[in-house]
Amino acid sequence: MRRRGGEEDELWAAVADPTRRKLLDVLLARGEATATVLATELPVTRQAVSKHLAVLDRAGLVERRQRGREVRYAVRPERLDAAAESMARVAAEWDQRLAAIKRLAESVTAEADGSLGLRPSTTSR
Amino acid sequence: MVPDRIESEVLIEAPVDVVWSIVTEAEHVGKWFSDSAEIELEPGGKAVLNWDEYGTRLGRVERVEPPRFISFRWARPAGAEPTEGNSTLVEFTLSAEGEGTRLQVVESGFRELDGTDEEKAEYAEGNTRGWAKELGELREYVSEHVGAPARR
Repeated sequence: MRRRGGEEDELWAAVADPTRRKLLDVLLARGEATATVLATELPVTRQAVSKHLAVLDRAGLVERRQRGREVRYAVRPERLDAAAESMARVAAEWDQRLAAIKRLAESVTAEADGSLGLRPSTTSR
Repeated sequence: MVPDRIESEVLIEAPVDVVWSIVTEAEHVGKWFSDSAEIELEPGGKAVLNWDEYGTRLGRVERVEPPRFISFRWARPAGAEPTEGNSTLVEFTLSAEGEGTRLQVVESGFRELDGTDEEKAEYAEGNTRGWAKELGELREYVSEHVGAPARR
């Protein structure tokens, strides 16, 4: 069990959105791009792109690069990787817990005398 | 709704009663979940999950329908009481299947801390995919573009 911090929550939320994943996709393909260019590649407004970029920026998934008067965005792949890992970890934790429940329940059932101290449970409701 | 759930299930070769005991009784929860546990098995009841290594997380039982269903909230920050803003909801559903039991778990609410109302409205526009699918897509995506998520 690991604790999820606020920072990790932000990462999760940032990459859970399909539009933002598409944005990351385009950015990865291009290396870097401005919000205006990104808006031409996605079926959303430039304003929406800017909002999504702000979420990604807060989560540390993209960096802003000032190029003269332009601001270009680029992906920070190590953060993207961290996000995927943290999500995979939580799902894996539940798989492990269920497997542990299965082991416990099946071992108890195998021992007909219930020597692990299981009481007959409240069934008939 | 927002795609903020993790689902998993397992088929267990044991009767529903036995699985219910394992899932809900502190003595057993201290084996499969935390290192030790205290649980008041009633709506509003307090749950205390202790990990030797990670500390204590507090939960609150929401619904109990023996031996088929139990749900609880647990707070993310160690030692904090669960509130709407800091906790996720865990729901266990047990159903008899042949001689055994199908046990399903859903953890949801990861998104509650996130974002503006506008963003939530955007999500709500027909984004109903399950978290597992999102996760699968994301992992695929990351491994395609960045390299395998599981780093050496």
